[in-house]
Amino acid sequence: MKKQQLETLKKSLWVFHMNTGSCNGCDIEIVAALTPRYDIERFGMMLVGTPRHADVLLITGPLIKKMEDKVKRVYEQMPEPKVVIVVGNCGSTGGVFHESYSVAGPIDKVIPVDVYVPGCPPRPEAIINGVAKAWLKLERLEGKK
Amino acid sequence: MKRLTPEEIVEYFNDKLKENIKDTKIERKTAGKKKNEFCTVWLKVDKSVFKDAVRELCGIDFPHFAVASGSDMGDYIELMYHFSVYYGERLKEISITISVDLPKTDLRIDSICDIIPGALISEREIQEMLGIKVEGIPDNRRIFLPEDFPEGVYPWRKDEKGPQNLVRDMYE
Amino acid sequence: MSKKTTYTLPIGPIHPALKEPVAFEFETDGERIINVDFHVGHVHRGIEWIGMHRNPVQILYIAERICGICNICHPIAFCRAVENAAGIEVPERADYIRVIMAELERIHSHILWAGVAAHEIGFDTVLHLSWAMREKVLDLIEYLTGNRITKAIMAVGGVRRDITENQYPTINNALNYYKENLDTIKSVFLDDKSIQMRAKNCGILTKEDALKLCAVGPTTRASGVKKDVRVDQAYCAYGDLNIDYMTPDLLTGEVNGDVYDRIVVRLLEVEQSIDLIEQCIDMLPAGDIMAEPKIPKLLAMLKKVEGDGIGRAEAPRGEVIHYVKLKAGDAPFTWKVRAPTYNNLLPWVPMLLGEEVADIPIVAASTDPCLSCTNRAIVIKGNKREVLDNEALHRMSVEKTRRLAL
Repeated sequence: MKKQQLETLKKSLWVFHMNTGSCNGCDIEIVAALTPRYDIERFGMMLVGTPRHADVLLITGPLIKKMEDKVKRVYEQMPEPKVVIVVGNCGSTGGVFHESYSVAGPIDKVIPVDVYVPGCPPRPEAIINGVAKAWLKLERLEGKK
Repeated sequence: MKRLTPEEIVEYFNDKLKENIKDTKIERKTAGKKKNEFCTVWLKVDKSVFKDAVRELCGIDFPHFAVASGSDMGDYIELMYHFSVYYGERLKEISITISVDLPKTDLRIDSICDIIPGALISEREIQEMLGIKVEGIPDNRRIFLPEDFPEGVYPWRKDEKGPQNLVRDMYE
Repeated sequence: MSKKTTYTLPIGPIHPALKEPVAFEFETDGERIINVDFHVGHVHRGIEWIGMHRNPVQILYIAERICGICNICHPIAFCRAVENAAGIEVPERADYIRVIMAELERIHSHILWAGVAAHEIGFDTVLHLSWAMREKVLDLIEYLTGNRITKAIMAVGGVRRDITENQYPTINNALNYYKENLDTIKSVFLDDKSIQMRAKNCGILTKEDALKLCAVGPTTRASGVKKDVRVDQAYCAYGDLNIDYMTPDLLTGEVNGDVYDRIVVRLLEVEQSIDLIEQCIDMLPAGDIMAEPKIPKLLAMLKKVEGDGIGRAEAPRGEVIHYVKLKAGDAPFTWKVRAPTYNNLLPWVPMLLGEEVADIPIVAASTDPCLSCTNRAIVIKGNKREVLDNEALHRMSVEKTRRLAL
């Protein structure tokens, strides 16, 4: 694991961020990860505006019924190989909103999820760690091709 | 017009709407070291004069409409419209809540959008959440619930029209 | 001459900062917006319904998660609603600590907003500048409460953590940092020519519209309406403090109700918040921080209460109101939450009418719903569909700044 992390990155990760019903707590921590204190762009990671350019799908929030088909559509638009990261408790399990009539469930009910970042909200360091884990998986997927 | 005290506000409504004012309550609370007080006036009015009550309220001061809330009380639904008047001066604001009971056999209320246009979102919300028909509402669509949300299910209702059947079983 | 064609331009629905994310539909004639419609509810989580199945102490946890940015104001409003219904007297010290927390949150939220607003007009340097400054207040919040974002400090009848005297130096240190560095952001926003060109006379909300549409918070104050729950009502310790309405004429001498005025109001409020925290620390009374520290005892007491309560609080975005009806039972019988943006939705219509498409991001962001993640827009041009994503819309906004700057 350690050796793998020391290898040079083959490519920089482009991340698409999607909110499926989050309270915005995770979202501002993701933006905090982009700004000078944590500066995720040092590692070549960048937020992009469209799923068609993205390697990583970053999802926050529980899955609201109204968003169910939209998540699927965004996932299908992404090119292979791709990984999905769920940031926050609500997306991983439903969290505090698990019993609501308008929540369809955790994200992994609809699309396959590779990395879970627990926390409510997780700290920016945890989000960066999650994206790095996703990068390792992406390299593996790339190697298989 | 002269600034009214909470007691005078209650009197003013009693004067204008007579026996249609069903119940009044003045609540005073204090906070902080200096124990400055803030007041909430609760008025329960008859359904027939609800819109007049809002009109009379505008006669005191143009009210700030905060939100409408509703409780399912069994055979009737209690709607509460939360207003505040006399904002804009230090510690002078008074909260006024006008509540009205609607029997479940006749769930209709008049729209107040022509008096306070900002009430539109609240009125759309009580329509979809409680199944109350707001008469004369300028925009009849749903607001928070999705278009494919089942008809006849109203999330704030506690009777058989509540959303019980839509709840996910967390152990599935 | 053929009939003028108009385009419909839907934007959204993914939208991060609200309880309800918004999908816009604009009808445009060339660049001018002639009609606005919006759909909300993509993030309707049924929070109030969940709350009617939990006890008040459990609800605090949900109330904090209504909005990740306003997670002090919602618990304050909820606690006050329950306290008013049950007749619980909050200790004075807790009232002051609540104010300190609420004002720290206001500093963090307004600086966050300043960055987002700068990003919307293509000024990313200022985004990074202001977000770097914001980390200082987050450090202070973490030092005082243990958490960066969700602070978990409110409790029914008081607060959960005290502020001790040995923490004062760290608080003063952070406040001094802002006193010294706030001028950087202020001068960028108030003196920079391109920001003035984008923000002045753009997205105007008249005083009359603000009153009629019941706008709240900095949005309404920028239009000259004096409405601020902190000044209007004696809640928490605000009744004791020296505080006044922040309207743009304090700095510029005039009220226009445009985007620029909304920027001015927020910058003034950051300074006001620093001043309020200092006042609170000077006057902090000794005593308990909880009316009833034993939670089971508190819950047993709340179980028997019958009554209604309203809690109002001023969030960074405006007035928050919670209504709670307790009717002998574990869970509240009714819980209604009204977040500030709920009232600031309708004012978007008069603000956006007549503006250009490239102004949508900054005008919509000026009420502080953070339109930073507007997902995509589709331009329907006759039968052809052009997809404009968030980036393209953002690019149009950036290009307009460049055009003006030349």
